[in-house]
Amino acid sequence: QGHCAFTMNLERLPNEEKLTLCRKYYLGGFALLPFLWFVNVVWFFKEAFIKPPFTEQTQIKSYVKRSALGLLFWVSVLTTWITIYQHFRAQWGE
Amino acid sequence: MQVSLANESPTPSNEAPSAFCQKDQQQLNTSPEAIQQPQEAPATRARSRGGSGDEGAGDGSGPEPNGQPPAAPPARVVENEEEEDEEMTLKYGAKHVIMLFVPVTLCMVVVVATIKSVSFYTKNDGQRLIYTPFPEETDTVAQRAVNSILNATIMITVIIVMTLVLVLLYKYRCYKVIQGWLFLSSLLLLFFFSFIYLHGFPCLRRSLPLPDVRALSVREVFKTYNVAMDYFTLAIVVWNFGVVGMICIHWKGPLRLQQAYLIMISALMALVFIKYLPEWTAWLILAVISVYDLLAVLCPKGPLRILVETAQERNEPIFPALIYSSTMVWLVNMADTDRPKRNSTEASPPQQQTQDSAVESPAPSSPSQDDGGFTSSWVSQQEHRLGQLQSTEETRREIQQMPSARPPVEDDDEERGVKLGLGDFIFYSMLVGKASATASGDWNTTLACFVAILI
Repeated sequence: QGHCAFTMNLERLPNEEKLTLCRKYYLGGFALLPFLWFVNVVWFFKEAFIKPPFTEQTQIKSYVKRSALGLLFWVSVLTTWITIYQHFRAQWGE
Repeated sequence: MQVSLANESPTPSNEAPSAFCQKDQQQLNTSPEAIQQPQEAPATRARSRGGSGDEGAGDGSGPEPNGQPPAAPPARVVENEEEEDEEMTLKYGAKHVIMLFVPVTLCMVVVVATIKSVSFYTKNDGQRLIYTPFPEETDTVAQRAVNSILNATIMITVIIVMTLVLVLLYKYRCYKVIQGWLFLSSLLLLFFFSFIYLHGFPCLRRSLPLPDVRALSVREVFKTYNVAMDYFTLAIVVWNFGVVGMICIHWKGPLRLQQAYLIMISALMALVFIKYLPEWTAWLILAVISVYDLLAVLCPKGPLRILVETAQERNEPIFPALIYSSTMVWLVNMADTDRPKRNSTEASPPQQQTQDSAVESPAPSSPSQDDGGFTSSWVSQQEHRLGQLQSTEETRREIQQMPSARPPVEDDDEERGVKLGLGDFIFYSMLVGKASATASGDWNTTLACFVAILI
């Protein structure tokens, strides 16, 4: 069946599944979804950096870092665009 | 406010007995209550056994941890446990209510805030939804009353029909259909309405029965503050919002985010209803649906009842896309049992959705204008009426009692949550919104409604 239901409490997930989830969120963000990356970073931050090391932690760390990078990229792009737009709005006409 | 708390329905086969046994041994107070309740109204009476259970389990999980010498008089121990249990029950009850209190409040706040700031919502431009064809700006009071009654009847008929359809689908296990429908509806809701909310879309005026949505938007607010929103940014924002919402609700995502999305969706729906339902019709519908809700759940023939029972028989969890859960429920997939892992607020197998959908009818403020978006929250309304169909807490508890089970019962505390149908959110938000929109002493009225709802 379609969905597998399991808890969203990360505590309860086995590590492999955490990794899979992190990875999926990371990959999904490439579909023009910086928000997804943001969620990924926030959600897995504790897992990646605060918790004592476990096997998959390095990989999760890398995904979180990459998501953060992607997020930064998008934020800068959008900010630049909005600034340009706001600035030239009058000239371009609404 | 009707709240469906974690249900400990005695029906689930293997889980209940051991769970209850354990509980009975350890916490005496909650179980009898819980057992009795389902008999009266299985749908509505789920209680958060979890709460008391948890703490009780913490204490009572064996006299051993307590450090009491085995020689301690059993009567005394029991007494202590009982007292503690009672306290815990109270605490847990309150805690859970508060857990529900917050999101409902949030939803209402969002609705009221929007109404205040974007004046369009209070302006009556004479356009109506296709489901309420009779105008209310008529000359005589009598005419208006008749019209609103007719409107309400149409709406409610639609709701009832939808409910029945869903019940049937559920009964005949057309889960795919249900699932697809709910998926589409949430998709529609997330994208379409948030887009409208943010931007407004003039061309829709002609093609859809929706009224002038242009002003139905924060765009007006933007204009006020001389902020421009270009299409590119808008597209990105809406796209992100929608997709992440879909992921969170229907798949896996952080609990908080899921809750936030559900609140937002509910608020959106409530706003739409406030705007597009003529006044008398709206109040009438609210009243009738509350009544219907009670009937449908308590009557043995009611469609909701059927759903509950069917769901219980099949031991199926509830569709998370339609309900709001304050916490997540964790079911361990143990080797010896084949209980599926279940996330109470996630999109579980379609069956649950069916049941949620079917429960639609009592949803006070979500007639299916576009069958998509509305029915889901509508359904969720039902959902909560059904209460907890899966005794997730029980199974959890049972698991924890197994030797190989996960750790601490204390976790149950956080994880045991209460569920509330989304329809409730919409209903109450709409109520408050309408009150604030129309009343002259608006803040007073709003606050009064708010308090009344909470109580």
